[in-house]
Amino acid sequence: MKILVAIKQVPERDAQISIAADGRWIDESDLSYTINEPDAYALEEALQLKEKNGGEVVVLCAGPERVTSTLREALAKGADRAIHIEADDLGERDTLGIAQLLADAARAESPDLILTGLQSDDLGLGQTGVVLAELLGIPHATIIMQVEVTTAGLKVKRELEDGWFQYVEMPLPALLTIQSGGNKLRYATLMGIKKAKTKETKTVQAAPATAAQAITLERVYLPEKQKKTEILTGTPAEVAAKLVEKLKFEVRAI
Amino acid sequence: MRAAPSEGVARGWVRMVAVARGTTVGARSMTAALIPGIHLSATLAEPAHFSGLEKISLLIGIAISLVLFFWRFGPILRTIFRSKKDNDFSLHPIRRRLWDFVWEVLCQGKVIRQRPLPGLAHAFVFWGFLAFALVSLNHIANAVGLGFLNPASDLGTFYFFFAAAWALLVAVSITALFVRRFFVRPIWLGEKVSYESGVIAFLIFLLMVSYLGAFFVDASGTAVKVLWWTHTLTLLVFLPLIPHTKHLHLVISPFTVFLKRDGFSRIPPLSGDEDFGLVSGKDVTQLISLQVYSCVECGRCTEHCPASNTGKVLNPKEIILGTRSYLNEFGPASETSLLTDMREVPSNNPAAKYMSMEAAFECTTCGSCEYQCPVGIQHLPIIIGLRRGATNTGAWEDTHGTKLFLALEKHGNALGLSAMERDKFIQKQAFPIFDGTQEYCLWLGCMGGYDPKGREIIADFARVMQYLGTTFGVLKKEKCTGDPARRLGNDLVFQTMAEFGLKAFETAKVQKIVAICPHCVRTISNDWREYGIAPEIEHHSEFMARHKARLPKQDSGESIVYHDPCYLGRYRDVYEEPREIVSLAGELVEAPRSHERSFCCGAGGGLAFLGEESGERVSHVRAAELAGTGAQIVGTACPFCNTMFRDALSAMGEAPPQLLDIAQLTARALPASEMRTGEQ
Repeated sequence: MKILVAIKQVPERDAQISIAADGRWIDESDLSYTINEPDAYALEEALQLKEKNGGEVVVLCAGPERVTSTLREALAKGADRAIHIEADDLGERDTLGIAQLLADAARAESPDLILTGLQSDDLGLGQTGVVLAELLGIPHATIIMQVEVTTAGLKVKRELEDGWFQYVEMPLPALLTIQSGGNKLRYATLMGIKKAKTKETKTVQAAPATAAQAITLERVYLPEKQKKTEILTGTPAEVAAKLVEKLKFEVRAI
Repeated sequence: MRAAPSEGVARGWVRMVAVARGTTVGARSMTAALIPGIHLSATLAEPAHFSGLEKISLLIGIAISLVLFFWRFGPILRTIFRSKKDNDFSLHPIRRRLWDFVWEVLCQGKVIRQRPLPGLAHAFVFWGFLAFALVSLNHIANAVGLGFLNPASDLGTFYFFFAAAWALLVAVSITALFVRRFFVRPIWLGEKVSYESGVIAFLIFLLMVSYLGAFFVDASGTAVKVLWWTHTLTLLVFLPLIPHTKHLHLVISPFTVFLKRDGFSRIPPLSGDEDFGLVSGKDVTQLISLQVYSCVECGRCTEHCPASNTGKVLNPKEIILGTRSYLNEFGPASETSLLTDMREVPSNNPAAKYMSMEAAFECTTCGSCEYQCPVGIQHLPIIIGLRRGATNTGAWEDTHGTKLFLALEKHGNALGLSAMERDKFIQKQAFPIFDGTQEYCLWLGCMGGYDPKGREIIADFARVMQYLGTTFGVLKKEKCTGDPARRLGNDLVFQTMAEFGLKAFETAKVQKIVAICPHCVRTISNDWREYGIAPEIEHHSEFMARHKARLPKQDSGESIVYHDPCYLGRYRDVYEEPREIVSLAGELVEAPRSHERSFCCGAGGGLAFLGEESGERVSHVRAAELAGTGAQIVGTACPFCNTMFRDALSAMGEAPPQLLDIAQLTARALPASEMRTGEQ
């Protein structure tokens, strides 16, 4: 089974984020980057499927030169090959635009299965995987916790809300977006790093953006801290009634 | 009394007899009276004549003995020489090597010091053997007419009596050792009784008796011939037995002691792209080979091992013997895995478990084994080498271990907390950032930067520095030194951490570092050398001891039992400095096991971050021992020991002793104006 894992490089979780001068993106100088966490789980799932069923794991990442470090790390953890879509203008492409880049590269590989994280740690849109499946015309399932290969294709476990799960059977080829925490991640080893040096990383140039962005990013800002205190007065019964009303209609917590 | 002057003249012994009389008269008369027909001669009797047949038999005997010796010793030597070269080996520093040789081999210093009675008995046997070398050579040479020590000469008389004194000591000592091994039977010698040791002990005894006997017989009788041949045959049987048994240490351990790797627990750098540690036979180096064949199976390593003593699988002696058996079975070029988890082992092989991954990862790297070993075996590079082989190749799959490595990769600290937590702590404590104007860089470490108790220690030590008027600053960003990764065999993470740290010190232009954690001190000052030179670093005990004249002396009268951290004591040889600080704070009490014999807290070697241990908890055993001294306070000098004992002491129930780091013991007596608020 040939598995393609689409990964994204995002700023390190502990990074001190500051807003760029134009207020439209974060300041990228002096940032350290890492693999997007749900993508790390997608890679882990792919590696485990390969260990169980054989095949090949190819990692795919779009972005500037710096993303090669994340690709190398994926190779060190056990991926067989890497494809780097070199693009310095991802900020000017929307989800569809990026999915198109990934789709072009994926078509050339014609994999049996495409895995990707369910969303990114930085933008958190959660759409790239789904759009990619649509562009390729293959079935997809989202928020996947477990993957099992069956004779007919796949049986997967989706996470629903409230502790509910859904089991879906689907044919191959297919695309799955993987939830964090379904597996235990592995650590990169010295042997992995040494082996990664001999593995192939193919660089392809991103096709120029064809269409104007459907979505543009207007403003990026750090979460504003809010703290509002209000003291309710009255008899205990009155206070309770007011509290319920506020929780219901203002905070919408119940 | 047979030494009548006339007889003496006849045999040309005149001068000798005169000398001998004074010394042996009493014994002689007594012997003569007790056993008629046997009398002590003033000289050693040597057979006067050897027939041609005797000479030929002797030569054939020697030839057979030598052939049998090399039959077994040859392959061992070949294994050692065919093992991988030690890339980092250098004879430097030669003076230290010579000193170790003199102290550990010739003086038997280590053998005696750590096990006084059996050690002394062993030393007598060893020194006796040295004294006997000349005697034995002369003994054989006599048969072919090449004897060089004339029993009648002054030198001969002196030497044979000198050797006789040793022979007596050896005979008594070997009997005592025999009794110890076969009747007292300390468990460290192994559950199985070693019959070969009995045979060897008997042979040694026979050698001595057949030598001493020659003082009691005539040179012309058959008795002297019988004694001579008994002595000779014993020697000839003894020789081929040496390489078959642990008595091989007679031949090779002097070399092992002289050649051992320089530095305690020194982990050699990996060489080339194919080296991941001790994966298989081809990774076993010449030093390791030499060391494992030197093992004398005395079990001192196991006797002091915190894992072996708390019911775990790990047994350092068996790791050494397991490696030896591996080399005997597979050879030094083999690709077969050293660890038994990854090779076919007959299910009935009881030794297999000792070479398992489980055993290798139970080591706290406390270093007792390596410290105790009398024949120069360095256990830590071997045990850590096995871990490197398992971790660097990904064969070691452990939930906690993986979590630790990912935490180090991702957050740069072993506790897996966000690096921002450290920033907040620094801010709250108002620690200045090191900018080159301060004298010291205060290294927080994972415990000092993230752990609540470690933070209290750091905060208190900072108060001590402020009180002394020493300027210091902390690094803006700090990552773990890589100590747990290093000891668990993850060279990738360790290298990343070491390189980050070295760069951070270089960028900040740090000259001097002080730290509260002996693990950080050791790793920065020693292990980082593989990747660069770190600034000079010292432990806070050393810093405070240097300034002790200016630190307040407390009249609390409290008794404080001090626990030697492994990485401060055995690893760094710092024993007295922390005691000086403890003595300022109260009355110092020694634990039953202290100084270089201190018993581990169980945290080292990355084990603080691994899961629940099997058997008894090491920390509980040690905490009970410390509390058992009746001291009011347990004094520590390592934040890891501190955290282990905190849990262990509170589990002990009623009114456990108080637990304080030496920095806290000092800071509590400082004037209130130095107080800072809040410790987290």
